[in-house]
Amino acid sequence: MPLEREHHEQAQVALVLFWVGPYRAALEACHVLAMTARPTALLTANAHSLLYEGGDHHPPPSRWLTLRDTQTASDHAASTWQLGVYGDLTLQHLPASTLYPLPKLLQSRRFSPALCGFTFEQQQLVLLLDAGKLSLHKP
Amino acid sequence: MNSETSRDSHANDQQQISQTLEEALAAHHDDESVVDVDEPTQQLVLFRINGQRFALPGSAVSEILPSDQPVYYVPGLPASTEGVLHLRGKIESVINLQPLLDLPTLEGTPSGMILLVSASGIRSGVRIEQLDDVCEIAQSLLQPPPETLSSTLLPYVSALWQIDERQALALLDPEALFSAYQQGLG
Repeated sequence: MPLEREHHEQAQVALVLFWVGPYRAALEACHVLAMTARPTALLTANAHSLLYEGGDHHPPPSRWLTLRDTQTASDHAASTWQLGVYGDLTLQHLPASTLYPLPKLLQSRRFSPALCGFTFEQQQLVLLLDAGKLSLHKP
Repeated sequence: MNSETSRDSHANDQQQISQTLEEALAAHHDDESVVDVDEPTQQLVLFRINGQRFALPGSAVSEILPSDQPVYYVPGLPASTEGVLHLRGKIESVINLQPLLDLPTLEGTPSGMILLVSASGIRSGVRIEQLDDVCEIAQSLLQPPPETLSSTLLPYVSALWQIDERQALALLDPEALFSAYQQGLG
């Protein structure tokens, strides 16, 4: 077995899994700086409104994930924002081989450029999100 | 057995053989659908969407998946995207062609098979209503799409197969379909 492939099959990726309405989603754990019960940052956004159209009318998030603001990070190194999510948050180390990229056909049609792939948790689809492309500004 | 009887019997045999050959040749002439082995052929996957008959080149269809193949809904994608499916360690998109082909989208749970279609380096599932056949036909039977074809279908139809006087079938161009989908159509 080629070394690179063997490495991929054995490697694991730490992910923070959460709910966005009825959908399960995940961010790479290294991008999540903190988690709070209430928003503490100046800039916040509800995950619903960033991921799909019509996601504006939902109850207030139950958890806030603090992320680095990659849009303004070059100007303000310490700039952060918070993403509002729901339900039980779990930290999981998933095998890299079980993380699948977004099919090519869907790349130009996704509402959010942050949607980068999928994995499964107990046979439920999990949306993999690229924290660096999770923009505060709607596309 | 006398020689006269033997001659009559031989004549009858000859008549029978001659007649059988005639029948065989006549039958051969009548069978116009037999494909000349030297003529180029094309494999087609024949199917229906909303009752309308379409085909895709067999070379573009790598697999035909059963209707009960689980498809997972993905939020934030156009309505023409049914979702994704998990097949042998890969995730494939599943789209509906109705919006592109200007056909009404049917309500309810999709119940037809899924064709796994590859074109232009892209692979995706395409939901159909009903699989009719996988067959090989002479390329000469495929005619260029007529100018009278509806303007919504024309960009996606590479050829027309006039099956008989009443029935025609549109051969879809998978590259054109995927390209249009990527450009935001459908």
